[in-house]
Amino acid sequence: MKFEVVIGGRSGELTVNGTSFRYRRQGAEAIEREFSLRTLQPGKYSVLIEGRSYAVTLDAENELLVNGRTLAIEVFDPRETRGRRSAGEGHGRQSIAAPMPGKVVRVLVAPGDEVAAGQGLIVVEAMKMQNEMKSPAAGRVVELRTRADATVAAGEVLVIIE
Amino acid sequence: MFRKVLIANRGEIAVRLVRALREYRIPSVAVYSDADRVSLAVRVADEAAYLGADPPSESYLRTDKIIDAARRDGADAIHPGYGFLSENAEFAEACAAAGIVFIGPPAAAIRKMGSKTAARQLAIAAGAPVVPGTETPVRKIGEARKTARALGYPVLTEAAAGGGGKGMRRVDREDDLETAMRDASSEAARAFRNDEVYLEKLVAEPRHIEIQVLGDHHGRLIHLGERECSVQRRHQKVLEECPSPVMTSHPELRARMGEAAVKIARAAGYANAGTVEFLVDRDCNFYFLEMNTRLQVEHPVTELVTGFDLVEWQLRIAAGERLTLRQRDVAWRGAAIECRIYAEDPVNGFLPSPGRITQLDEPAGPGIRLDSGVYAGWTVPLDYDPLLAKLAVWAATRDAAIARIRGALSEYTVSGIRTNIAFFSEILEDEAFRAGDLSTGFLDKFFARRRPGPEPDLETEAAAALVAALHACKTPASPPPAGSRSSWLVSGREEMLR
Repeated sequence: MKFEVVIGGRSGELTVNGTSFRYRRQGAEAIEREFSLRTLQPGKYSVLIEGRSYAVTLDAENELLVNGRTLAIEVFDPRETRGRRSAGEGHGRQSIAAPMPGKVVRVLVAPGDEVAAGQGLIVVEAMKMQNEMKSPAAGRVVELRTRADATVAAGEVLVIIE
Repeated sequence: MFRKVLIANRGEIAVRLVRALREYRIPSVAVYSDADRVSLAVRVADEAAYLGADPPSESYLRTDKIIDAARRDGADAIHPGYGFLSENAEFAEACAAAGIVFIGPPAAAIRKMGSKTAARQLAIAAGAPVVPGTETPVRKIGEARKTARALGYPVLTEAAAGGGGKGMRRVDREDDLETAMRDASSEAARAFRNDEVYLEKLVAEPRHIEIQVLGDHHGRLIHLGERECSVQRRHQKVLEECPSPVMTSHPELRARMGEAAVKIARAAGYANAGTVEFLVDRDCNFYFLEMNTRLQVEHPVTELVTGFDLVEWQLRIAAGERLTLRQRDVAWRGAAIECRIYAEDPVNGFLPSPGRITQLDEPAGPGIRLDSGVYAGWTVPLDYDPLLAKLAVWAATRDAAIARIRGALSEYTVSGIRTNIAFFSEILEDEAFRAGDLSTGFLDKFFARRRPGPEPDLETEAAAALVAALHACKTPASPPPAGSRSSWLVSGREEMLR
C-alpha cells in the first residue's frame, strides 16, 4: 500500500508491504527495511526498524513525537484528488484568529475603525501572558466577533479586516 | 509539630508540600478552584477544600476563604508555597490573627522586602552593594529623564512592588524613555495594583545568581549557597543550576555573596527560608537585586547539592524548632540542574498552551528528580502559571549533570499540549551553555545564533510515516471538507500495516 507523506515540509513516499517498507524522501536514496509496529494504547506506538527502537506518540493533529522529537506530518492517499492548499489569504478580507486559547482582556478597535498594518487589535491572555494581536495589513475593521472577557479557542476568528 | 497543614497553593508545589507533610505524618489539606477539582494536588492530599471560581482573585488569592477553610478543617498552619499569597504580609498577619501559623517569614520581614525601594535602602544600610539607581519611585517624566541621564543609558525600569519581570523595560535612548515608563507603570498597576516604578542602571551582561538563606526564630541564620539562574526568557527563569559555573572558577565568591545575603536577611529580621537575588558582572562584582521572602520554585537544585530538605526546615522552623545546622555543616557536593517544564510552544513564539494532556511519559532513573503537578488526562487550566513540572538532576560534575538531564528529557513526553521539553535539549547542546558562559542575555544570544536542527534521518521519518499511515487507516474515512489540509483521512485497511 502506498502513501504520500509530507514531513516537516519535505515530501516522501512510503510503500508498505507486509512487514517491510520502502521509504523515499524526495531527493534522497530510498531505504527498504523490515519493521514491526505495535499500538501500546491509543495514540502511543512502538516501532522497531531492524531492531532500532522508535517511541512514537501522537502529539496533535498532523503532529507526532518520535523519540522526543516533534515532526509535523501529513499523509495522502495518492489515489485521492488533491486540494492540499487553498490559495486563500494575502489580500482582500483578512481574518485574525486567536493564536492560543485564552481570555480577551482588551478590545482595542471597534467595527468601522481604520487600522494601520501592525496596529494592535485585541489582547488575549492565557497563563498570565498577554498577547497583542496585530493587524496584518492596513484596512478597516468590518467585523468584530468577540468582546472583552470572552473566552476564545485557538484558531477562533476574532476580527475581520478589509 | 503541626496537627494539620493547609496548602494555599496549587500545581507542582502543592504536590511537593503534600509529600513533605506525609513524611512527617502530618495530614495535608489541598485547596482548589473549579478548574483544579481533579488536580494532582487534590488527588494526593489527605483532604481538599473548595475555594471558588478559576480566576485567582476568586480562589487562590482569597485570604478570607483560605483562612475559613483552615479553621473549618482544623489546620493549625498554612504553607503558602510560592506566588499567590506567599509574599503578602497582610495574609501572614491574617493567619496570625486567626491563630494559624504562617509557614514563612515574619510579616514584618515580608513587608520590609516587599517594596524594592525599601529593600534597597535596607541592603545599603546593611553594607551590601546595590545597583546604582533611584532610591524612590520616579513619577514625572522630567525627573525620569534627569535621573536616566545621570545614571547613563542603558537604564532599566522596575516595578516597586515587582517580581517576575513585570514592569521591567530596558531603555537604550532617551527617546524611548517616556513610552517605557508608561508601559512599565501600567503593567505594574495591573500586576500589583501599584504603579510605582523606579529607574536603575543596567548592569552589562550580568549573571543572575541568588543565595538561599535559612534562619530560625532564635537568631541563627545561615546560607545554603547559590543558584545560577541566568537562563531566562523575558525575565522568567527557565533553567537553574548549582554550583554556578562562576563559583567553580572563583570559589571565594560563594562565601562573599553568602555573607552579604545573611547580612541583608538579618537586617530584615528574617526567619525561615528565603532567597537573596544578586546580579554579578563580568568582574565578579555583585549587586543586591531583591529578596524573595518564600520558598523558590528552583529550591530542588539546592536540596540536591546540599542534601538538606528546605521544606522540612521550613516546617520545623515555623513550629519553633532551632536550626541545628551551622554554616560549617553546609557542604556542596556535585552539580544539579533543573529545567522548568512549561506549557508553551517554543516553535510558535512561546505562546501558552493550556489544554488536555493526552499522553505522558515521565523520566526516571539514578539522580533524577521530577516535581510534577500533572498527569495524563489532566486539563491544564488557562488561568494559571504555565509551569507543569520541574525536572532536576544531580550528578558528580556539571558535565555529567548535563548528560543526565539530556537523557531524562529524551524520555519525557507530554502530548496533547505543547511544552518546551525539546527546547531544553537545544540549550543543553549549546557550546556557550556547556562552557558555563552565561548571562541574563544568554537566551537572546542563543536565539540569534540558533540554527534549525539537522533534518531527521530517513529511518526516523519512516517511523513517523508508518505510524501516520496506520493512524490514517484507522480513522474512519469521511470526505475532508473542501480545501482542508487535514489529511489523516485516508481510506485503507489497517491490516496492511500490522
